[in-house]
Amino acid sequence: MMMLDTIPTMLATLAAAAPAESTPSPAGFWMPVGASTVSGDIDFAMDFINWVCGFFLVLVTVLLVVFVVKYRAKPGDAIRMGGPVHHMGLELTWTIIPGILSMVFFWFGFKGYLDLQTAPKNTFDINVTAFKWGWNFKYPNGAQSEDLYAPAGRPVRLILRANDVLHSCFIPEFRVKKDCVPGRTTNIWFQCDFPTGLDVDAAYGLHCAEYCGTGHSNMNRKVYVLVQEDFDDWVVKQANWLDEVPDSELASIAGPKLYARCAQCHSLDGTQGIGPSWKGLWDRVNGGAGSDGKFTDGKNYKDIIGVGKEYETPEAYIEDSIWNPGKHLVAPFGNVMPTFKGQVNQRGAEAIIGMMKTLDQFDAKGKPIAK
Amino acid sequence: MSTISKAAPATAPHGGHVADENYLNCSRGFLSWILTLDHKRIGVMYTVSVMVSFLVGGIFALLVRTELLTPGPTITESAETYNHWFTLHGAIMVFLVIIPSIPAALGNFVLPIMLGAKDVAFPRLNLFSYYLWIAGAVLAVTSLLMGGFDTGWTFYTPYSTTTTAGGVIPVVVGVFILGFSSIFTGMNFLVTIHKLRPPGMTWFRMPLFLWALYATALMQVLATPVLAITLALLVVERTLNIGIFNPDMGGDPVLFQHFFWFYSHPAVYIMIVPAMGIISELIAVHSHRHIFGYKFIAFSSIAIAIFSFVVWGHHMFLSGQSGLMNVMFSFISFSVGIPSAVKIFNWLSTLYKGTISLNTPMLYALSFLFLFTIGGLTGMHLATLSTDVHLHDTYFVVAHFHYVMMGSALIAMIGGLHHWWPKITGRMYEEKLGMIACVLVFIGFNVTFFTQFMLGSQGMPRRYYDYAPEFQTYHIVSTIGSYIMAVGFFMTAGYLLHSLFHGRKAPANPWGGRSLEWQCASPPPIFNFDTTPAVGDCYDFSIVKWDPKEQGYYIDRSADPEIAKAEAERGHTHL
Repeated sequence: MMMLDTIPTMLATLAAAAPAESTPSPAGFWMPVGASTVSGDIDFAMDFINWVCGFFLVLVTVLLVVFVVKYRAKPGDAIRMGGPVHHMGLELTWTIIPGILSMVFFWFGFKGYLDLQTAPKNTFDINVTAFKWGWNFKYPNGAQSEDLYAPAGRPVRLILRANDVLHSCFIPEFRVKKDCVPGRTTNIWFQCDFPTGLDVDAAYGLHCAEYCGTGHSNMNRKVYVLVQEDFDDWVVKQANWLDEVPDSELASIAGPKLYARCAQCHSLDGTQGIGPSWKGLWDRVNGGAGSDGKFTDGKNYKDIIGVGKEYETPEAYIEDSIWNPGKHLVAPFGNVMPTFKGQVNQRGAEAIIGMMKTLDQFDAKGKPIAK
Repeated sequence: MSTISKAAPATAPHGGHVADENYLNCSRGFLSWILTLDHKRIGVMYTVSVMVSFLVGGIFALLVRTELLTPGPTITESAETYNHWFTLHGAIMVFLVIIPSIPAALGNFVLPIMLGAKDVAFPRLNLFSYYLWIAGAVLAVTSLLMGGFDTGWTFYTPYSTTTTAGGVIPVVVGVFILGFSSIFTGMNFLVTIHKLRPPGMTWFRMPLFLWALYATALMQVLATPVLAITLALLVVERTLNIGIFNPDMGGDPVLFQHFFWFYSHPAVYIMIVPAMGIISELIAVHSHRHIFGYKFIAFSSIAIAIFSFVVWGHHMFLSGQSGLMNVMFSFISFSVGIPSAVKIFNWLSTLYKGTISLNTPMLYALSFLFLFTIGGLTGMHLATLSTDVHLHDTYFVVAHFHYVMMGSALIAMIGGLHHWWPKITGRMYEEKLGMIACVLVFIGFNVTFFTQFMLGSQGMPRRYYDYAPEFQTYHIVSTIGSYIMAVGFFMTAGYLLHSLFHGRKAPANPWGGRSLEWQCASPPPIFNFDTTPAVGDCYDFSIVKWDPKEQGYYIDRSADPEIAKAEAERGHTHL
């Protein structure tokens, strides 16, 4: 009876100990670091299934080996005609036991799924747009980022959208994943109590899990979890960063920062990419070398840029290419660039154009060359 | 008393019983093959075609594995090229290899003989099915010439309707036509099994391979038309810009997934159920032991065929479909596990107190038992909702379905090929080489795919050209495994081809089988049997006797009162 009495106390101690953890659960043989409020339960379900399945695998393998060794035909052996060919009790046993076990698995999965599916009421909402091939995270105050920044210690909901093909938002350390479906809105939520600060090495990972083409494996981004005060500072700074860059430094400071989004497809050194390289771009749009380059509709740069033409200035053409990229396609490139309307504003476009004009001051990666 | 001979049948001298005229030498010339209506020749043509496709699909697999040796570029600088490779690997292996491999290739050869029939019910339709298969394969090649396709074998929209790869439409039309090849074969088998069973063969006297082919044919006939509709809609959307799946045109991409998996989930069982049938034959014959739990094995095939139609939603747990649907699909998905477990334990019990001949077909059957157990058990992790959220679309899924599709379905096919090889070709292969190759394939397979379970659960998504450096060790191990497997398969091809010209002549019944295909000559005469033979219990091996002169087994038909009874009944019906 003593034993029985102590069990509730032990359970209570265990329960009390759980929230006191100060570090995420470490990576094991099967699961990676677990850093969300649901990861513990999911890992427990995983371990439980592993143990049960491991038991059955060992059982089947041992029986297999024992029977083969024991009943292996030796030369001159008579064919044994013994052994039953039917046994209702056994048949029911191996129908009912797997049946019960799978219902237990189902129950674990069902309960865990309810937790994953049901976001608490007071979530902090972040709008996520997946595109070929990157992510845009938009915060309630209008701030935007390419990596995800989330406050620690409170539930965060990601509202997922896709603006071209299917993608899937996967954060392994939080054990969450959901498809981003064009034309629909889906969402996931998590709460992480283990801040990473702005340290790249400590940050968690975010990946695309639904095949989306050439850049599918390059959609990996970081998840920075900041304590609430730091997060509040960051999100305000992030919303205003472009305005705080002095006009004179717009091209050299804001340009490269914005270019990081473009680097997936547009090289600076003439390397063939998914979109046209920016090398020589300013000459081309300005009536210089390469300005007879064709668009897919047969026109060239000179046909559409100039006084009285579709675009009065080269700047107007580039701005429109950022916001309506499908309008004129440089041959032979396809219509794959997503629109950046609402993500890059007038000032952002000015910074990018400024960078294009002074490309000789940047290296191939977009870093300003030190003077 | 029948005995197992030491010499059985590996080192016997020439002189096994061979009919003078058989289906291989009764007529000659190219036309006699391509215009044949003989199910055996059609089966052989399917086998050759499927094996050539297997070689091509395997080469793409090796390219994919080699590319993944290092993060970033390894043998190709272009992620697009890699995407084409894994798409081709998947599409070829699924549509050209695994789906037709057992029913159309081995099934075509074995099914009518097992029934004691002269041919399938509709021999012309059978040949037509084969030419549809060829047409589908030709369109797949055409697609490569037109720029290939990079959609993944699942053709998910809107990617497949917007990708710039030029070969999407020809390959989709190809798969559409392959579907009809599959439907016609299924219909043919259903009718053959219903109408052409011999005297004495009631439904519960059918060899279990026939039960499995019957369940498979049901699924082929009922599920494949949905694939045809889906692919037709895809072509309509891509060519005529009618919005069905593309949200930009008012369509819904999730609808495509529902359509696609309504076919493709049963398709998974179209691949595995006939494999289970082969395993029932291999384990019973090579253990020289009555199959355990015949009715449970037979009904579990039918149960799997039925359940297979109501679990497609588990491919879409994360697609944004409603939570309630996810919970219901999760619940039903577990139900498929139960008939699978029933089969495993019945096969194990068949080994108990058997007289086990450890030869190449049996080694493949035992490999199947182990690999299918892993494949089935890891299905539990994926049917469980909360763990699936983490594992979905990762290498864990890749590992799981390779254990089931390759480790189980294809391994059973290769095992069945060895089992019926003497019957098909009239030649014995070199037993020792067969066993070595099987062990190589088994080891290589596990090294390749077991590592991928850890890759996936540690968080590596599938279909990645580039990956984080911490995953590289697993990838190197996996790639080495694939090379070991390749050596095993090339070795298999080598000794099988060698046996065609230099193999010992096969006796009619080299293994001690009891079903009807072992009661006609190897290779069989053109019409299999002069008169439809009566059958008894095809798993009762007590009347199977060893004949030292023939170096093979024979069936002492006079010792079975049931055969006598069936033959007497036939006398009354004046057949």
